Amino acid sequence: MSTESATPLLELVGIRAGYGTIDVLHGVDLRVMPGQVYALLGPNGAGKTTTLGVASGQIQPHAGSVLLDGHEVNGVSPDSLARAGVCLIPEGRGIFPNLTVAENLRMCTYAGVSYKQVQERSFAQFPRLQERRNQMAGTLSGGEQQMLAMSRAMATDPALLMLDELSMGLAPIIVEELYEQVATLAEAGLSILIVEQFAQAVLGVANEAAIMLHGRIQRTGPPEEIAEELTAAYLGMS
Amino acid sequence: MILGLRPPVALAALLAAVAAVIIAVFNWKGAPVTSETFLVTTYIGLFLGALWAMYATGLVVVYTTTGVFNFAQGAIGVFAAFLYWELHVNRGWHSILALFVVVGMFAPALGVMLDIVIMRRLRTASLVVQLMVTVAIMVLLLSVVGDIWEADTPRRVPYLFGIENGIDLGPSQLPWHRLIVFLAAIAIAVAMRFLLRRTRIGTAMRAVVDNRELAALNGARPNVVSSTSWALGSMLGALGGILIAPELGLDPATLNNVVIIAFAAAAFGALRNLPMAVVGAMLIGLLRAHTGAWLDFGPDYRFAHLSIAPLILLFVVVALPQARLEVGRLAHHLRRHERFTKWWEGLIGCGVIILLAVAFSGGWLDFGIWDPGAWGSRELNSANEAMAFALIGLSLVPLIGWAGQINFAPLAFAGFGAFVYLKLAGDTGNGYWILLVGLLCAPLGALVALPAARLRGLYLALMTMAFAQAMSLIFFPHSWVLPTIGVGRQFPHIELLGATFDDRRGFFLLMVCIFAIFVFGLVLLRRSRYGRRWMAINDSQAAAATLGIPVVWTKVVVYAVSAAMAGIAGVFWATVSGNVDSVQGFDLLIGFNIVLLVAAAGVSIPVAGIFLIFIPLFTGLGHRLEDAGNVDFLVTLLDILTTYGPGMLVLGMVFNPRGAIFEMGRGFSPILPWRSDARAEIAAENAQKREPEIGELGLERPFTPEEVIAIDRRLGILDDVVPKEGYGASRS
Repeated sequence: MSTESATPLLELVGIRAGYGTIDVLHGVDLRVMPGQVYALLGPNGAGKTTTLGVASGQIQPHAGSVLLDGHEVNGVSPDSLARAGVCLIPEGRGIFPNLTVAENLRMCTYAGVSYKQVQERSFAQFPRLQERRNQMAGTLSGGEQQMLAMSRAMATDPALLMLDELSMGLAPIIVEELYEQVATLAEAGLSILIVEQFAQAVLGVANEAAIMLHGRIQRTGPPEEIAEELTAAYLGMS
Repeated sequence: MILGLRPPVALAALLAAVAAVIIAVFNWKGAPVTSETFLVTTYIGLFLGALWAMYATGLVVVYTTTGVFNFAQGAIGVFAAFLYWELHVNRGWHSILALFVVVGMFAPALGVMLDIVIMRRLRTASLVVQLMVTVAIMVLLLSVVGDIWEADTPRRVPYLFGIENGIDLGPSQLPWHRLIVFLAAIAIAVAMRFLLRRTRIGTAMRAVVDNRELAALNGARPNVVSSTSWALGSMLGALGGILIAPELGLDPATLNNVVIIAFAAAAFGALRNLPMAVVGAMLIGLLRAHTGAWLDFGPDYRFAHLSIAPLILLFVVVALPQARLEVGRLAHHLRRHERFTKWWEGLIGCGVIILLAVAFSGGWLDFGIWDPGAWGSRELNSANEAMAFALIGLSLVPLIGWAGQINFAPLAFAGFGAFVYLKLAGDTGNGYWILLVGLLCAPLGALVALPAARLRGLYLALMTMAFAQAMSLIFFPHSWVLPTIGVGRQFPHIELLGATFDDRRGFFLLMVCIFAIFVFGLVLLRRSRYGRRWMAINDSQAAAATLGIPVVWTKVVVYAVSAAMAGIAGVFWATVSGNVDSVQGFDLLIGFNIVLLVAAAGVSIPVAGIFLIFIPLFTGLGHRLEDAGNVDFLVTLLDILTTYGPGMLVLGMVFNPRGAIFEMGRGFSPILPWRSDARAEIAAENAQKREPEIGELGLERPFTPEEVIAIDRRLGILDDVVPKEGYGASRS
């Protein structure tokens, strides 16, 4: 691929990180090239979410480097990274439940875009949000909440988008709808790092995939191949 | 729905209205109602309402933007008012300059400091700790004010633009100050509403309360946003204090109590709704002004018009729908490291308590350089007061410490106990009636528990506070309840087991014995089925309910037990001096101090209650020190400790939420010969802390980073990536 020679947009080198004294990641190496859609797959407790936590600045690694576009960003706060264009949609509805839909969207403007643009784009993508703009976000349905969370990705023109278990607890049709949006973003050239437990959801979108197990990346490769191996990995046969 | 209200609320409102009409009819003063007097009264009511609205706005803003209900909001106002007086009156600065310095510079600095030093660490604390810490800040701020500006000088904060300048309103003159206060209150409420709902920073303030991590992922700086919230809240409190001080006078307690009225107003808006909070404040203001003008409650109910705010608070809290009450965020509960105290350990503890008390008061102790000697009447007087205080505090151990139910009304229960005893035993002083006092106080506790059973955390705190206020404003001042007598003791010396406890030391030791019995009872209770249930509902009511624990009944029982203990303690509290000031004797501020002490002790450990015994012991010792004369330093130290001690202890909870006693116990218990488990625990902890030494690993020098990589590669932890420099060396 032509992207091989370019600087990776996100690069993790030998990352060791965890919570308190317990290490979850034991040396994670990962590269997301510009324009790439990278799917990080793996079972519960493999360290996928922790990896995103490190990449977004929420968790400070004990060792290793986080590089954004070639610059080391270890120790940079998550809010600075967010303003610099790193957009993480966390798992389990990344919304403010006690704020209205419109107020949730207003929070997106911290990424440096105008409120008008945020509203225009998200309402264009998800008309249902416009209908419910003055409703408390916590009272939306699960799918609507995930749309609201996703609209931050649509509206703020991030440099790097990270999605954590977008499909969790949602009906398949809504998952499909959401991944259509992700595909649109990918076509526009956005670099995306997707974390999922189940490969099926991301196969159509990703052009690179990796299996994560026990805090390490076990294998990287084309999504189709990786998906086949995933079953084996889940059953503990790798 | 009736008039937009749910049927139970509508019914309650109707009953309250009927009760209000009946009260009004029976207490009508008979003053002529003219349009003039009516209008003037209304002006006054609206003005009072505006003052309270300002405080209520501060409370609501702080609560919505920080998630903490700040009991210290009023105390910040008190501090600001005194500082303003100092600058403006004492130092002669221009009022605008002084106002700017206090509200624009000092207050935000105080708010930011509170956030950085304290509030930031409270984020994951339990609601009890959060509440206690803000109460501690309140008590500390008031103590500081009392220390800097001593009460002996009369002070007045002048009205802005003077009292005599204003608009002529026909029947009366409206001073500029009052007009400004009224307009400022409305303007501030509108501005805050706009800020919270229509601006990005306001949205971010609320967003940070909702989900701090997500706010950061959005690009907001959570720490900056929180500090801004605290600065803003502090400014609102300061402005309120300065504007209200000319009306109420510069008295810390009076000024601080305003905040309780503001609590009622804030509760009226369900603590988050600003417009409704302002409406609530105006309503209370109008009710206060009009009852003052038209009603006369007679000498027995002379404080009844002051009880409007607590009554409204009670009413609102009881009428609030259940769903609204799920306040307080998910607290990260600490894992318990509790070991059941064995019954014989409790017995030994009680023996030690009694022995200590006998030794201290009898002057058996000799500290080498200083022999305090036996206590005289002054020491015994103070020690007796403190001992009764400790007894009341002990009643809170099962309630706050185990069941996690907040109660600011221990003194109200104690006062009720004293009242019951007075009616039962009369002037005989027959001590056997005390047992019946406990039985009769229990139903009152159960009664309070009934609304409390559906309330949680914050509202529970507010409700017990309102209950305590209502009791001390309506019940205790009634001449039939605690009749004042000219000469002699209202509460005669207690007669028990054929002895009359009329000498102070005997009475002190009697109380110590009661204390020891209570402690022993608590040790047994903690080991009982109820002890376990209380702990269970503290951890998770939902989980307790699914286990088949009747949550409501369990709460009713713990309140009843606590009320019974407090009631018995109240008898001693009253008998110490023999005469109880029916107005001040059961004051809420004293109650706050008791609650603080108990909370700081870390009451979840049953034996922690024992710690309370040291209050009377050291109080007595302090006086001996004073008499010794040449130990001024120690006396000052003790003075500082008694003034600031409870507050400081609670602030300690910020850093160690398990309470001071817990840590002391951990240090102390390994000394006990039978506690090999404690020694083992400490040893295990130390072993964990210690890094293995090089020699132990069979090495002569530490690994170099290259070697670490080589090992990792061998173990398959590190693949084929060339490490960045420094990797491996920074491994922790």
